[in-house]
Amino acid sequence: MGIPAAPIVTIAFRDLAQSNCAKRGMPLQRISYTPHPVWGKTDEQMYAYLEGNDPVSGKPFMPEVVAALTRPVTADESKTGTVTPPVGAPTFIDTADNLQQYYLDNGMTDTMPIIIPTEERVAAMLKATSHKPDEAVGKMTPAQGAFPAWSYTVQHCAVNAVMAGATPDYFPTILAIASTGISALFSSTNSLVSAAIINGPVRDKLQMNYGIGAMGPFNQPNATIGRAWTLMSRNLDGGGICGETYMGSQGNVINYSNLIIPENESNSPWPPFHVQRGFKPEESVISFFFGFCITQGQGGKGLGVKPVPLYNVAMSANVAPFASLFGALFLVDPLVANGLGDLGFKTKDQLADWLQKNTTVTVKDVKSMLFSGLPRGVDPSSFKDDDVIPKWQRADAFNFVVVGGQTNPYHQLANMSYRVSVSIDKWT
Amino acid sequence: MSMNRRSLLSLLGASPALLAGARAAAATKAKDKTAKSATGKVGGEMKLTALNPRGIPPPITLIPMAKRLDTLDGKTVYLVSDGFPGADHFLAQVAIWFKKNMPSITTVYRLKAGGFADDDPKLNAEIKDKGQAVIMAIGH
Amino acid sequence: MEKLGIPSVPLATKSFADLAKSNASKRGMPHIRACFTPHPVWGKTAEQLMAYVEGDDPVSGRPLMKEIIDGLTVPLSADDTKTGMMEVNVGPPVYGPDTLDGLQRHFLDNGMTDFLPVIIPTPEKVEAMLKGTSHHPDEVIGKMAAGAYAAWSYNVRQVAVNAVMAGCEPEYFPVVLAVASSGMAALGSSTTSFAYSMVINGPIRDKLNMNYTIGAMGPFAQPNAAIGRAWTLLGKNLGNGGIPGDTYMGSQGNNTNYNNIVIAENEKDSPWTPYHVQKGFKPEENVVSLFAGEDIRQGHGARRAGVLENPMFDDQISDIFRTLTSQFDALVICDPLTIKRLVEQGYDTKEKLQQWLWKNTTRTAKDYRDSAFVYTFHYPRALRGEEPYKTWYSCPEDTQIPYWPKPDNIVLVCAGGQTNPFFQVGNLTYRTSVSVDKWM
Repeated sequence: MGIPAAPIVTIAFRDLAQSNCAKRGMPLQRISYTPHPVWGKTDEQMYAYLEGNDPVSGKPFMPEVVAALTRPVTADESKTGTVTPPVGAPTFIDTADNLQQYYLDNGMTDTMPIIIPTEERVAAMLKATSHKPDEAVGKMTPAQGAFPAWSYTVQHCAVNAVMAGATPDYFPTILAIASTGISALFSSTNSLVSAAIINGPVRDKLQMNYGIGAMGPFNQPNATIGRAWTLMSRNLDGGGICGETYMGSQGNVINYSNLIIPENESNSPWPPFHVQRGFKPEESVISFFFGFCITQGQGGKGLGVKPVPLYNVAMSANVAPFASLFGALFLVDPLVANGLGDLGFKTKDQLADWLQKNTTVTVKDVKSMLFSGLPRGVDPSSFKDDDVIPKWQRADAFNFVVVGGQTNPYHQLANMSYRVSVSIDKWT
Repeated sequence: MSMNRRSLLSLLGASPALLAGARAAAATKAKDKTAKSATGKVGGEMKLTALNPRGIPPPITLIPMAKRLDTLDGKTVYLVSDGFPGADHFLAQVAIWFKKNMPSITTVYRLKAGGFADDDPKLNAEIKDKGQAVIMAIGH
Repeated sequence: MEKLGIPSVPLATKSFADLAKSNASKRGMPHIRACFTPHPVWGKTAEQLMAYVEGDDPVSGRPLMKEIIDGLTVPLSADDTKTGMMEVNVGPPVYGPDTLDGLQRHFLDNGMTDFLPVIIPTPEKVEAMLKGTSHHPDEVIGKMAAGAYAAWSYNVRQVAVNAVMAGCEPEYFPVVLAVASSGMAALGSSTTSFAYSMVINGPIRDKLNMNYTIGAMGPFAQPNAAIGRAWTLLGKNLGNGGIPGDTYMGSQGNNTNYNNIVIAENEKDSPWTPYHVQKGFKPEENVVSLFAGEDIRQGHGARRAGVLENPMFDDQISDIFRTLTSQFDALVICDPLTIKRLVEQGYDTKEKLQQWLWKNTTRTAKDYRDSAFVYTFHYPRALRGEEPYKTWYSCPEDTQIPYWPKPDNIVLVCAGGQTNPFFQVGNLTYRTSVSVDKWM
């Protein structure tokens, strides 16, 4: 734009700021740093930052900012042209042990053992799709707008799928994930995570587990498809580098498996999730969710009621720790789905409507929250603190998927919102 | 669960599962259908060729930095926040600092529209028209 | 009962048929006369249950009541009265020689993994792992029962095999041995799908380069990932566990079981006492503390979360506590920035905050008694006269009572990289602390 600019960032974001500037073409941007944080500091404390030193350069802060705007630009700072970020050689040659160490040391894994992606194994993986190896699959970035998106081909996805331990018949599902460009390692200080629901004949074809232990480490497709997603989220877009392309302050355990959940369609009284989204039952589909966490539905008042637990009441109570920025995805054991039917909730929509109306909060509790807040589009001053309002404004914040082995009528619930569904068949 | 699998699955526990060495494994490579495309041996151990899992980053177009001002005296400096919590208070302090230390500078505070990473063309146009420099507080 | 000479017929629902039979087998009574009803019993009305009683055993197809009576009265066969010993087959000590692919396949197909690739435990790799400890490879160090069966015992070498498989380096081995020595399985079998966590303290965290800053609980550091994963493999291979429908009955499974919730406490960025010191260890000791429970949730949904000025984290943590089950305690993981703010609020020690949280997180006795599982797990203790349950069950129903018996039921640890002041809360209960130094 021709206007000199001096960016100011707190020191917590130093690595991020520098690499971000480099990635956007201005590697020598004159960034000044303050101590961290700024949020929550008093005016006096912030003024002290200004009169103090930049903790990175050690120089007096404000004079440094002024100099950023006035000191003449150098030859380096005026450079034009293009720069291609290095990603390493296309192949690596060494012993199996050394390769295992090499991929680990160069940040190409989730730090766990991989299957070395030899040309033969990758070729075998590629046979499982009719799409050509050099066909573009999609683009991915750790955070929209913050980092440029990288592109990748079918072959890139195959390499990651082999590394994860996937067998070739899982490959179309993995390609479907890659085609969305959704990163499992989304970069935010909030440690946000994703989940994916799988519907259709692919579940049985791959012998996915949607019974006892479905969400645990008891099944190869469930485990390796989730892991392939993590590996792709690292390798296909430069993601997962803590402090740079991954900023989650505490991290999230869900990232180890990414919650790959095949729906237990045959034991459900309801239409499967993909059919609700307009797909035919015989189509194989993967649907994506995004949000904060997953909890067990072991609490909730309704669960203790005898002889028939009030599952809907329990669900309404169990969403108490959820932020309404995201919706609620209920993962219900078939016993609960059938039990809800007995209670009169014959369809998922009926249940969603009931939950939307009956899950309430007071205005006082939500109005100051960053991750919840008052309903949009309504004048905030029209509310009084003691008013009781629905926690979510729309019934479509609630989604239901049936999964489990019926050893007991349990449910789990994720503070997540639905994003998109894509065809797996397209990638066979 | 078949009984057969169950009895297989009661393996391990009372005895370790040790394996014949990798050398022995390499010695049976004739049976290995997924034989590696070996390009030689190092100390008797087979070498493999493995592929790079990384995607394709777009090339980066270098953006030359704008010419600097000779001095800030008498200039209008825009103080822009990207909306992260505390930024507005912080920049208010910056304005106070300028008033105290470099009183000839005029500061104008603006909140950038949109998300953290979004451009704000209206604001950019205003700055180009009315300002000579920008100090931007960035965070999230 | 059978051992006492009293004929008995175990009655279970059909979901547990396989389990019941194999359990009986493993306990020495392979011909036990078990009968089954449809599933479930929980949640059924009196009419529906009577229909079960008057109907057929869905496994045998025979009328249920007749089957029960026959079970108690029909004379025993020769097989039923056999005595002697039955060996449990665990397979040969060594596999191979085979190719790497063949061996990877073998471990996978025989249920010895978590279905992700393992490092093949060759003798060389196991020997290298054994160098990570001074303990003798043949030393038996513990017993573990993940499922409801007899515990299996194991030695240092067997733990080493699993540690290699998980992707551990030899220097992680003392931590894995410490966990193994506890006998606590990370794949506990119940219809509830439990979660497990470990908190690691002491200089070993930096020696192993554990991650306790940005991304601490995610898949970003080899020691965090591998040590957690080893705990799961121990439960499968040494703890006789992890077979869905048999030694693992969790109806839906728990995603945290892949690597368990491994927390290296961020001691340097916290002004508070590290957890192991609270438990009586010296700061320079290396300790792993184990927890079990339900899940872990983020604090973003707490009432008044995300306020821009003067956030009240004590309030927010207390708010999240109200959403936990009473079956398990609370493990709060605070980012250093959250702790900074809590110290400003006046909580300069963990104990002060534990005390406030315990005192101020309350509910009515009625709500407590209505809570799921409290009846199953606490009421029997109240009947035995155990406090505070006895009082909680006898006081007037509108009495405000604390969520937990003691402030110590609330555990606070520090982990995070200070990109923002967040916290997470595990509905987890402390079980034990084990010295890692002992296993070096």
